[in-house]
Amino acid sequence: MKYVTMVNGKQFEIEIERDGSILVNGERRQVDFLALGPSQYSLLTNMLSHNLVIEEREGEVQVLVRGRLFTSKVMDERTLLMAQRTGGGITDTGEASIKSPMPGLVVAVSIEVGQEVKAGQTVLILESMKMQNELKAPRDGVVQAVHVAAGQSVEQNKILVTIG
Amino acid sequence: MSESAQQTKIKKVLIANRGEIAIRVIRACRDLGIASVAVYSEADRTALHVRYADEAVFIGPPQPRESYLVAEKIIEAARKTGADAIHPGYGFLSERAYFSQMCADEGIVFIGPPPHAIEVMGDKQTARETVKKAGVPVVPGTEPGLRDEEIIAIAPSLGFPILVKASAGGGGKGMRAVHKPEDLPAALASARREAESAFGNGEVYVEKLLIGARHIEFQVLADTHGNTIHLGERECSIQRRHQKLVEEAPSTFVDPDLRRRMGEMAVKAAEAVGYVNAGTIECMVDKDKNFYFLEMNTRLQVEHPVTELVTGIDLVKEQIRIARGRRMGPTQSFLEPTGWAIECRINAEDPYNNFIPSTGRITSLNIPTGPGVRVDSGVYDGYEITPYYDSMIAKLICWGEDRGEAILRMRRALEEYTIMGVKHNIPFHQNLMNSFSFIAGMFDTKFVEERFSMTTYEESPSEEELEIAAIAATLFAHRERQRASQVVTRGERDTSNWKWVGRWERMHR
Repeated sequence: MKYVTMVNGKQFEIEIERDGSILVNGERRQVDFLALGPSQYSLLTNMLSHNLVIEEREGEVQVLVRGRLFTSKVMDERTLLMAQRTGGGITDTGEASIKSPMPGLVVAVSIEVGQEVKAGQTVLILESMKMQNELKAPRDGVVQAVHVAAGQSVEQNKILVTIG
Repeated sequence: MSESAQQTKIKKVLIANRGEIAIRVIRACRDLGIASVAVYSEADRTALHVRYADEAVFIGPPQPRESYLVAEKIIEAARKTGADAIHPGYGFLSERAYFSQMCADEGIVFIGPPPHAIEVMGDKQTARETVKKAGVPVVPGTEPGLRDEEIIAIAPSLGFPILVKASAGGGGKGMRAVHKPEDLPAALASARREAESAFGNGEVYVEKLLIGARHIEFQVLADTHGNTIHLGERECSIQRRHQKLVEEAPSTFVDPDLRRRMGEMAVKAAEAVGYVNAGTIECMVDKDKNFYFLEMNTRLQVEHPVTELVTGIDLVKEQIRIARGRRMGPTQSFLEPTGWAIECRINAEDPYNNFIPSTGRITSLNIPTGPGVRVDSGVYDGYEITPYYDSMIAKLICWGEDRGEAILRMRRALEEYTIMGVKHNIPFHQNLMNSFSFIAGMFDTKFVEERFSMTTYEESPSEEELEIAAIAATLFAHRERQRASQVVTRGERDTSNWKWVGRWERMHR
């Protein structure tokens, strides 16, 4: 699972692998993270011990490290991919494809083949985790193909719309 | 008082207060084998002092003037529970002469001074006159009610700079600092005009203006056998809007000779009003070590623990012993403190946002412990801080063999102290303990307001610290989200989600 975490304006890309090991900005880190009671955590990183108090408040994660409070924002794949939809995703052939960032239900398709779209324009609404997520065009272009229809369930990473 | 002063039995003490000080007094009672009675308002049913006491009596609505400040309700609670003594703590009814008198009339021992002493010291002008007669120095100044010509004639004898103050004053209105004699007439005129429009009374007086002055106070103790001693000084110059934030004992500014002279003055001031029990003489000390009586607090002070740590005396136990009519434990004044003690007041206030009080539930609390660390706290994990009372929720007091060790221990303890859920001033204390001026002992009463900033000593976090915070936050968020949703694509896992969650929980316990 990939996360992008912001702490004091600094961005970290953190990947948590299935076996629990993690990569920080691509570098592997030894971590041992234990919950020891309400809000009480112990984190060992390469034999360094960190006694932590962690709580979530209004969508932000507060971490108290040695009497110092850090407020961080953790964006998971879904939030992240949503954000990326508007930026990247351009393929080698010059086509941009919009993929489903997570499994979900296509609620509405707001464009049709041949239509011109502007970057940032909503092309499709995908419902997942009880939230309606607007997927937006990554760049200006013309809709080449629409691979799904409203009411359809999709798996993660399915190509939904292609823009040329 | 005579040798035959009557001894009284005290078997049950009612504490007419709340929060950390109520608990402090209950602890002394426990140590002495005396039963304790708490009183509580509607807002305080869940307060720690209620949980800690042997008995608890409900006294009304949250607003202090309808509960903690109603003398009749307190007396009634004492009568109902058969308490034979009342300890007033600080604030609330502790400095109301009529309350001390009501206790006496009811045959209840008031653990504090007699009504007369509270009354005299309670009125600033009377207190000033009384101690002045006993030869105690007060800030030099004129009487109120003089004409301009009279003031201008007296002013040079006080020495400039001087301060013009409105007799009816308050809030800095009608107040003028005058640095040169030739500016005085104009300052008098404008101060009178301002006082006239603000208070409808243009009467002014002048006082010597103390520059770079410190607030230093002396703890006194007097028993009914005619003994009055002092227990040395407390340095209380670290304050904001006349609210003390950090106190220490001894003071870096007080040398043995000054301690002896100020101590003698403090004892004299207490004796001038026939003082009995624990009290505090507050003084201003200017940069040339001239000291002046400011006022006397006729009660236990918030900052009493620093004195306890450098003298080894339990002040609340001494208060009770004195109230019982016994001789107090210490027999002579303390001129040589043992080691150094510093107290940080832990307030539910946001130091990053103009010290605005913060209310709400404490979601996580770790109290520091270990050598040289004492915490007098009135809160617990899960406690809800209400807006009705003082924002001070605890006091952290550290002792060291010398000031350096005390500061290092304080830094360590502040780092250990965890309070989540409400904003608090621990970051302020951390910055203060790192400030060169504080470490060097170079400060006066204006230091925090005029020369201290939260950003000066706050180092920006290192890469490593940020990464640790990021890793921890991410692992935490990951765990919480998995727990909350367990959203997994079908086929990605061969076991059922429920089994998986069970295993995962066991693994991460």
